[in-house]
Amino acid sequence: MEIDSCTIIKSEKPQTSVSSSPPEKVHLRPMTISDVDDFMVWATDTDVTRYCTWEPYTSREAGIAFINDVVLPHPWLRAICLENDRPIGSISVTPVDKIRGEIGYVIGSKYWGKGIATEAVRLVAAEIFKEKPEMERLEALVDVDNVGSQKVLEKVGFKREGVMRKFMCLKGNVRDMVMFSLLPSDSSH
Amino acid sequence: MEIDLSRVTLRPFELMDAHDFLIWAGDDRVTGNLRWPVLTSEEEALAFIRDVCLPHPWRRSICIDDRSIGFISIFPETGDDRFKAHIGYGLSHEYWGKGITTRAVSIAVSQVFNDLPHVLRLQAFVRTQNKASQRLVEKIGFQREGLLRKYTYLKGTIYDVFVYSLLSSDLLPLPQSYSSQIVL
Repeated sequence: MEIDSCTIIKSEKPQTSVSSSPPEKVHLRPMTISDVDDFMVWATDTDVTRYCTWEPYTSREAGIAFINDVVLPHPWLRAICLENDRPIGSISVTPVDKIRGEIGYVIGSKYWGKGIATEAVRLVAAEIFKEKPEMERLEALVDVDNVGSQKVLEKVGFKREGVMRKFMCLKGNVRDMVMFSLLPSDSSH
Repeated sequence: MEIDLSRVTLRPFELMDAHDFLIWAGDDRVTGNLRWPVLTSEEEALAFIRDVCLPHPWRRSICIDDRSIGFISIFPETGDDRFKAHIGYGLSHEYWGKGITTRAVSIAVSQVFNDLPHVLRLQAFVRTQNKASQRLVEKIGFQREGLLRKYTYLKGTIYDVFVYSLLSSDLLPLPQSYSSQIVL
């Protein structure tokens, strides 16, 4: 998951909301092979892949293979787009079992700090339980050091359930991970 | 009936355990919250021992006087996740409430990190209603990490669970400078 760092805005008026509305409107749509060049922008960026289990991509052919082999068959994956409909990241919900799904997202570093991840996660949280009525739990696992991504999930209303020690292997290192969940009954939207 | 806990031992299962196995594994009070099939005959018990228990990476019979009265399993995950292992156990109903399972799990924990050296994390997912199991793992020294809501789907019902872990590093011996503080 990417770091979407919060910008604290100092002002004299009391803040009514910490979450920023992104300057451009965010929408989600399916991803296609023709998105490969936009995909390569974030997939080759080491800042972006820092907390991903995968290494940065190094060739367009590998990017095309990823879209063919992983993206197109995926049960629920969307491109995160701004107003020009070009992807700047992606977000997915992967089934863990009959009742659980796991959310993951990645955004190009040029677009960090604008509330885009928060908005994308909020859009998914608002729709996914209607689209998948059998889903009882949407969960997320975030590296203990990835504070930006923890804040995204908290802003959207995910509940922080605890730190699972030595829970995930990230590029050869076993990491502590924070577990979050959202249930259909949670009011988040 | 008090049991001398030194009579509690662990060993791999044998086909000859089938009769004793059926007594507890055929009891819904023991296996009702496990993902085991229903066992109703010695033939089914024998097949289950042969096809599931014997090839298992780490499954032991809990024995009293070398007779099987239950089981402990430690099941590592696969691939990149094989450093994590799930612990599960069950005991014949007749022997509940005497500290036998606690003793058996304690023995298992002392062995498993040597037997499975790639395992760094033992984890247990205990239903919130299962107070006895919570007390057991806490007594052994597992750490409760959190409450996972609607995490487990078992036999038609969805459960909240507490997740517990014990790391191989939790069992490291104290550094030399502390040895004088150990009360024997």
